[in-house]
Amino acid sequence: MKKRSDVVGVVLLLLVLLVGPLLVPVSVAGAAVYAVIYAVAAIGLSLLMGLAGQVSLGHAAFFAVGAYTQAILVTRYEVNGVLAAVAAVAMAMIVGLLVGLPLLRLRGHYLALATLGLGIIVTVVAIETPFLGATSGIFGIQKPDFGGRVYDSPDEYLWLLAPVIVLGIILARNLVDSRIGRALGAVNDSEVAAETLGVDTFRLRLKVFVLSAGYAGLAGVFFAHWLAVVNPNAANFALSVEFLLIAVLGGLGTVWGAVVGGFAVEFLDEGLRDFIPVIVPGASGEVQLIGFGVILTLVMIFLPGGLHQAFRAVTGLRAPRSGSVPSAPASEGRIDPDQGKIPTNLTSQGSPESVGEGALLVREGRPAPGTTLLEVQGLTKRYGGVVAVDDVDFDVAAGEIMALIGPNGAGKTTCFNMISGVTAPSGGSVVLSGQRIDGRKPHVFARHRATRTFQNLQVFSSSSVLGNVMVGRHLRSRVGLVRSMLGFAARTEERAIVAAARQMIGMVGLAEDADRPAADLPFGRQRLMEVARALATEPDLLLLDEPMAGLSGAERRELAGLLRRLRSGGMAIVLVEHDVEAVLALADRVAVLDDGALIALGQPDEIRTDPAVLAAYLGVEDDDPEAAAAVRDLAAEDAEGAR
Amino acid sequence: MSDFFQLLVAGLSQGAIYALIAMGFAAIFSVSEIINLAQGEFAAMAGLVALSATGAGLPLPMAMMVALLTVGIVAVVMQRLTIAPVKKMTTLTSIILTLGVSTALKALMLLIYGPEARGLPALPGSNFVVAGVSIRAQDLWILGITLVVASAVVFFYDRTVLGKALRACAEQPVAARLVGISPRKATTLAFLIAGLLGAVAGLLASPISLTQWDSGLTLGLKGFVAATLGGLVSIRAAVFGGLLLGVLEALVAGYIDSGFRDAVAFVVLIVVLVARPGGVFNRQAQARV
Amino acid sequence: MSLQIRDVYAGYGRLEVLHGVSVGVEPGSIAAVVGANGAGKTTLLRAVSGLLRASSGSVRLGDRDVTRLGAESIAAAGLAHVPENRLVFPSLTVGDNLTLGAWTRRRDKTALASRRAQIVEYFPRLAQRLGQAAGTLSGGEQQMLAVGRGLMARPSVLILDEPSLGLAPRVIREIFAALARLRSDEGLAILLVEQNVRAAFKIADHAYVMDRGRVLMAGEPSALLDVERVQQAYLGGGYVRVSVDPADEPEAAAPAKPESLPGPAR
Repeated sequence: MKKRSDVVGVVLLLLVLLVGPLLVPVSVAGAAVYAVIYAVAAIGLSLLMGLAGQVSLGHAAFFAVGAYTQAILVTRYEVNGVLAAVAAVAMAMIVGLLVGLPLLRLRGHYLALATLGLGIIVTVVAIETPFLGATSGIFGIQKPDFGGRVYDSPDEYLWLLAPVIVLGIILARNLVDSRIGRALGAVNDSEVAAETLGVDTFRLRLKVFVLSAGYAGLAGVFFAHWLAVVNPNAANFALSVEFLLIAVLGGLGTVWGAVVGGFAVEFLDEGLRDFIPVIVPGASGEVQLIGFGVILTLVMIFLPGGLHQAFRAVTGLRAPRSGSVPSAPASEGRIDPDQGKIPTNLTSQGSPESVGEGALLVREGRPAPGTTLLEVQGLTKRYGGVVAVDDVDFDVAAGEIMALIGPNGAGKTTCFNMISGVTAPSGGSVVLSGQRIDGRKPHVFARHRATRTFQNLQVFSSSSVLGNVMVGRHLRSRVGLVRSMLGFAARTEERAIVAAARQMIGMVGLAEDADRPAADLPFGRQRLMEVARALATEPDLLLLDEPMAGLSGAERRELAGLLRRLRSGGMAIVLVEHDVEAVLALADRVAVLDDGALIALGQPDEIRTDPAVLAAYLGVEDDDPEAAAAVRDLAAEDAEGAR
Repeated sequence: MSDFFQLLVAGLSQGAIYALIAMGFAAIFSVSEIINLAQGEFAAMAGLVALSATGAGLPLPMAMMVALLTVGIVAVVMQRLTIAPVKKMTTLTSIILTLGVSTALKALMLLIYGPEARGLPALPGSNFVVAGVSIRAQDLWILGITLVVASAVVFFYDRTVLGKALRACAEQPVAARLVGISPRKATTLAFLIAGLLGAVAGLLASPISLTQWDSGLTLGLKGFVAATLGGLVSIRAAVFGGLLLGVLEALVAGYIDSGFRDAVAFVVLIVVLVARPGGVFNRQAQARV
Repeated sequence: MSLQIRDVYAGYGRLEVLHGVSVGVEPGSIAAVVGANGAGKTTLLRAVSGLLRASSGSVRLGDRDVTRLGAESIAAAGLAHVPENRLVFPSLTVGDNLTLGAWTRRRDKTALASRRAQIVEYFPRLAQRLGQAAGTLSGGEQQMLAVGRGLMARPSVLILDEPSLGLAPRVIREIFAALARLRSDEGLAILLVEQNVRAAFKIADHAYVMDRGRVLMAGEPSALLDVERVQQAYLGGGYVRVSVDPADEPEAAAPAKPESLPGPAR
């Protein structure tokens, strides 16, 4: 899926790499070789940092693994260059996998520092291992030789590099715009929300980490052949910093940023090496570092989005990954019948604006109304000495709306967090469709056809409304990382995803906002968007945490209508709300929490007049302990009777 | 057996240097959740400034004072110019940002002082031998001064109102503001403390390890590893971590292979991060919910 | 010093939570602000104490406009905010928490000890715990500590965010009794945000009911508690009428009546 700007970029790049060297001095072409090689590594790093949100301060380690593997295979074992390259990239990816498995469990800065340690360990291992040539390294690597021509001048090497980097760019761009790219972007914006929509963040991050190691390894292969020598400097910290600078300067997560950054940094490097000894006589050594350091610092303070941010500001282009996939026309309700994953009920609604009467999102295979879907038993959460949720039991059946109410601090959201896997319970069990899921991650909850919305909105703010809801289709689509990169197979599925997302958006009444940036919407409409996003997963169980907050009266009525229709379709809905009036009118059953304990469970009419509930909301009469105790006993009896 | 003790002495001496650097990391992180990768540069800078000062004729104690003053000022200026303006500072951002600053500082020192490694004159005293173990006067100075400095820092945080105010800032920044404590000012003070700690480390280490423009790299990284053993927040744990790391390195270098010395720290780092990110010595591994 | 909040609009980013709120408290009186979750009560307190910047409107301490000041400066100006969830400094001792409460007056070391003794008198439970780490205290004790900490700098205005949250009725009574004493002994202007309407209305001289970022009603607590609209704001229609027993007087001496009511009730 190529955008016009990508095509223009590729053409320009090819011009620069194929024709450019003939026009410039050899030294410039030589610098360009390094620029391209480092850019390849930086593309991988930029994907890792921008897409997976992970910083690697030791990326030169994978670069070195690729370089050393290539060097050894080609010089010691006389393996064919191309075969060796495949092995070298594979080797880098294997090391990436082994390292990523334990390290990617770490968050943020822990990972960054662990990778820094990794880089240094690889350097030390390279220095100390005779097989790797110790400090001298491996030398005598020959220049590539294809079809009778030896590619040993900068011009020729650039011709050799051109298809490699172009391919690298195309694959990376495809990934950024794909289902996987979208999922990772969502993880960056709100990891918890992405997980509850079914995104397995650990596995995805690991895949991108391994991919970035592969890019670095590939760069290492070309480095080895160009330099003819590979020594421990290939893994050194300064090189990792340079890769980081390229990625940051270009703009994290932007593939073209890494390419432009590569050229910018290399030429900066050359320029400084020439320039500084003029100003500071006698200066020698790694003087260009001062430029690197100053630029990295300034970019982080003033232009964190890098050159890409500046470019966008100047030309007014849209943000990367805005969900701006070529879409089916909004009014067209037709879904590709071959997909078979979208229930045909969806297509029979007619105009997305009308709030019709029929059942919504019926799904074959959903348990019959009345079947227990969710069983919560003895659910407890302790934080140190504080018991936030205390031994709560309730069930939810298909085709019912259950309300969960209670005063502030009663533990309602904590219950939701435990049920949906966001928090692990201290005790008790959560059984969904017969399977225990307590303590499992939220994407497991999602895989069991359940999802939730959030009290503190978890909007994917770098996407449009459509982009947000499309993430909801993650589990209802299948194209994985490799197919995403290759591009062509994904197009059909993407169209289906877009169409389904637009249906959901229409269902909640946001059709005219579909292409706006999600962050621009008023608060209440963002809530509706979260609901649409949750519905896009086609759940059997839906947990809604204060979906009505911020909605006008009319919007609340519409939402209530929508929920009733979903109930008719057999969905089970659990609702936390503070608009108690609205919720009592809507719910089939009500559970009341106070101070972590379940004090009432029953029909709305019973709850309305339950003295324990009143006491909880207004405050217990504290100068009459006997009366208070009596009220509580009464409440306990009521709760028992209602089960 | 005297080999073992010899390694132990060398390890403790080097470990004390790491401990000082590690305390600097903890001082800043505990107040602001910022990881300052330029911590090592404070040490290198102190050594180089003192070398210039002695080269210009100043007696050693004065040269050291000048170095401490300079580094203190640099640390505060660094915080005001590069840290304070960033509106949305996360730990990760602070890593990349301070990495940039540290790179620039390194290169600046290269430009000013050139690439050679030089050492400050050792502090006065004679070396002696005890039970087959040779102990340098400098080792005693290092251990002694580190002990004094560490005690002073611990006293500061445990007993003085200002130190407690800094801890309060770290634990509950909102409540700290509500009683009138400014987290901004606290961070500046923390950087000053970290700068001085780094400077002391650099001055003490210079006679033995020599100082050059990029001495800060490994010193800073290893001090960082030592600090992580305390979860980056505990001063005491940073001291223990530093000493422990120094001894481990010396033993590995002595008994296994001196080439793997540098790898020890980072293997330890990865193991600790994967096994107990909250720190090995940190008793209150309280999660910030 | 009085606290006057006029027409304050405030929110988080693009989400506006307060839509023109006006509340006032006079010295020697307690004003309660009640309302359901999401009404904006916590946001109101944050806007007052400077943790949050009001986008428009004004906050005045006495005759001083403090709307644009940061939290640290407002604390120094004589306002103490006891935050939601108490936020004691957990690894510091009770004594140290109190000492830090007097940060804006730390120069005056002699007064510190006597002030601490005074605070402990209001909250005797803290006496045996002075050397204990604050994080090990029970919820009620932490709440007392948080209030005591706020009082250390001798503020003129005290604002509290849901001090009764998670506490047993008896403890709530102790704390609120202390607040009533403070009103008369120290002439504090106290703004009390609460979800526990009963307990709050018992000691309040004046009350405000907030709903979705606006003041719905204001007036005498006893009058308000009978009003169906308050119950509606919490629970919806058709309820058993709840009323306060008029024989149940607050324990402290009769409070001074506020001199001016800030703005008409809706």
